[in-house]
Amino acid sequence: MTTSSSPAPRTKTAVGNPRPSPQWWLTLAGAVLLVASAFLSWCYVPALLGDLSIDAYPGGLQMLMVIVGVIAIFFLVLRSGRMPSMDTLLDSARALKALSATAAGFMVLVALVIALQAPGLANANPGLFVGIVGAALMVAGSWQMASDPLVDPITVRLPSWVEILVIVVMMTIVLFGAAFALGQEDGTVFCLFLVFLGGVVTALARGGLFSWISVIAARHRQVLMMGALAVAFLFPFTQNGSDANMSIATQVLIFATTALGLNIVVGLAGLLDLGYIAFLGAGAYVSAMMSHSAFAHIGWKPPFIVVVVIGAIVSSILGLIIGSPTLRVSGDYLAIVTLAFGEIFRLTVNNLDGNNGPRLTNGPNGIPGIPDLEIGSFNFGDTHTILGIPLGRFANYYFLMLVVAAFIIMVFTRLNSSRIGRGWVAIREDEKAAEAMGVNTFGLKLFAFAGGAFLAGMAGTIKAHQDVSVTPDQYIFLESAFLLAAIVLGGMGSVAGVLVGATVLKLLPEKLRFVADYRLLIFGLLLVVMMRFRPEGLVPSQRRALEFHADDEDLADRIEEVHLEIAAEPDPAEAKA
Amino acid sequence: MDLFFQQLLNGLTLGSLYALIAVGYTVVYGIVQIINFAHGEVFMIGAFGAMATWTVLFQGNTSLWVLPLMIVGAVASSVVVAVLMERIAYRPLRHAPRLAPLITAIGISVFLQEAIRLFYPGAKSALPFPRIDVVTGTALTLGPLTVRRSAIFTIGSLIVCAALLWFFINRTKLGRGMLAVSQDKDTARLMGINVDRIIAVAFGLGAALAGVAGVAQGLQNNNIDFFMGFLAGLKAFTAAVLGGIGNVMGAVLGGLVLGVVEAMAVQFIPGTFGGSPWKDVWAFALLIIVLVFRPQGLLGARVVDRA
Repeated sequence: MTTSSSPAPRTKTAVGNPRPSPQWWLTLAGAVLLVASAFLSWCYVPALLGDLSIDAYPGGLQMLMVIVGVIAIFFLVLRSGRMPSMDTLLDSARALKALSATAAGFMVLVALVIALQAPGLANANPGLFVGIVGAALMVAGSWQMASDPLVDPITVRLPSWVEILVIVVMMTIVLFGAAFALGQEDGTVFCLFLVFLGGVVTALARGGLFSWISVIAARHRQVLMMGALAVAFLFPFTQNGSDANMSIATQVLIFATTALGLNIVVGLAGLLDLGYIAFLGAGAYVSAMMSHSAFAHIGWKPPFIVVVVIGAIVSSILGLIIGSPTLRVSGDYLAIVTLAFGEIFRLTVNNLDGNNGPRLTNGPNGIPGIPDLEIGSFNFGDTHTILGIPLGRFANYYFLMLVVAAFIIMVFTRLNSSRIGRGWVAIREDEKAAEAMGVNTFGLKLFAFAGGAFLAGMAGTIKAHQDVSVTPDQYIFLESAFLLAAIVLGGMGSVAGVLVGATVLKLLPEKLRFVADYRLLIFGLLLVVMMRFRPEGLVPSQRRALEFHADDEDLADRIEEVHLEIAAEPDPAEAKA
Repeated sequence: MDLFFQQLLNGLTLGSLYALIAVGYTVVYGIVQIINFAHGEVFMIGAFGAMATWTVLFQGNTSLWVLPLMIVGAVASSVVVAVLMERIAYRPLRHAPRLAPLITAIGISVFLQEAIRLFYPGAKSALPFPRIDVVTGTALTLGPLTVRRSAIFTIGSLIVCAALLWFFINRTKLGRGMLAVSQDKDTARLMGINVDRIIAVAFGLGAALAGVAGVAQGLQNNNIDFFMGFLAGLKAFTAAVLGGIGNVMGAVLGGLVLGVVEAMAVQFIPGTFGGSPWKDVWAFALLIIVLVFRPQGLLGARVVDRA
């Protein structure tokens, strides 16, 4: 971890010795120039990249460079030894290198965009060149910086309120970052924002911030969960009644919720289910057939809460049927069985149009015109105003989905740390050994299928109303593959991972319309590349990461330590109370 | 009764197609124990390879002598794709957990479909496959039966390919090497067999047959499209399992049985659940039943622990 290019790495005694090297000054000068450049005009053309043409008023993109500069200055201050307790936690040299690279890459990209679209670099203003020089100085200065020796974050304890504050700050950043990202209409600006985001996240990760935060997060799990929920809840209020982004956010949430259900089957129990979308479809079809749509052929119209229960139960009965072969089939064969079931579901709803079977699903046309939900006197189609902020149709569904998502996350985490969850993990690791230890393997596998299906069915009943119509081609194999990809991308068996994966997979195609045609191509490539280079996903659960890197003993030790530490020490908040 | 024989013939035609593709699943499974889920796409690539050969070299030519060259084009393209796919995507995962190759396969599958859809001119909708004299044209009548010319081509190519395959596996050095590797990889390596090469050969062999199947499908259906590999691949996999995955001749038998069952189901299942809208449902039901109750397949090939 502490490979240094300089022959004599700084020792701990040198940390407290604030005598900055020329490199330090060089990097500082670069960072200051970068920040200063944001207050100058970058470009004559106001129509380009937001508006970068005004002096002393940083536009959206220029603000990003201010953030990079400020973070760099923060790390430089750390490096000068003024905050020894933080310095031992964070590796400023690696972070600075990544930040410099981000700044340089970003500035070069902006210059390229100006050169291509303005068109011509003649339209660039001095501010752009000041920024480029600043970024170059940062690169030059940080290039040769030596890494610090770090202490393991698990051994550092800051006051509890500091740790909670860090979580709250992080959550706030996530909220405003998400609102800002969704607010970008221009594909180029969004891409540049992604470059910025990727760079800063990499920098912080390389600086060791995330390993520290993951330790804090493990200590303050409750705070983290509540914080995340609060952020998700506050999100619609940042949109000022615009339904465009709320529609995307609701889709992301439905997708993520379904993926979380699948994560129980795939991530926890290790059973590959390639037909999972059928459960979402079953819930959606039940809901559609019992709705007041003119094409619904079931006469009984119960209240929605009953429909949710029926949809979930029908779906979980399907889950039991699909799960029953697990008694005899496992591994790849099980995956194919589930795939076949998924296809049978799609073909069946496609055929039940009255000509080729009972008239239930209206065949390939599906069931259109499903009315909006109405619970009590609350109509989900109307715009409601809370605290002066209008909340549109999609915001209403968003809140409903949020409740469902919270419920599913709770079920997931509770199950994961229960006897059942342990049983699943045991089955995933070695089924024969688990059986020998007295785990009821068949029962648990069946329960995984039925439980996962139940959750997807619930989500499906809401999806039908949100989408207005259900058709068979919403439930094709590719959708199951997408769900699986969300899990694989994010990290199997981890809630945060699935949320990240689902967001990335749903959000990117929406925002990157200009690559919309290449979306699936990139998706396919992504799966292959992920399996090759990071099979455990972007935000893996650590136990899972270990499975994919069985020979990494450091990782094994760390995971053991974290588990022991968290298990052994009572929560400080509880101890005080 | 005439109807029965007509459906039998149709079933055998369909089954020959399945059999040609199924061999690819079974050969690869027998050697590396992974389900190459992207094999259906290799078949699709074969069909497009044949068409590309025709469009570039023989545009407008319908003589019979063009057909062998089209087959060469099909086989070459599918083999190249399959071998590259093995080298780039599967080989690094040989010791990875079981889920990894399957997800990779889904990725390759989507990637290949999209690559054809986006980059093959006009492939966003179905493309008409070239007509060839003698092989396409008016159907022959054989007593009460109607025999399409392309059906004869399909069944004929299965017979030729099966014979060549048998010869290759049992009589050539490479083929024997494949047998040895499928029995025991480590011992085979000790005997001086280049296991990596054998695995590549297995992928190539399956792809070659899939390429031939691609041509047969094109002649049979008149149209090809980028999505044709998905369903065909799934059916062929069913056939491979039906015959006992890992058993090459089993795959051929499984393909024929599946084809016949499907043809018969369309004709003879009464009521609203019969007929062609439901034929795929019955095929998948058969797949599930076989996987659950007789995972070792009809010919009872290798006993697979995971299945």
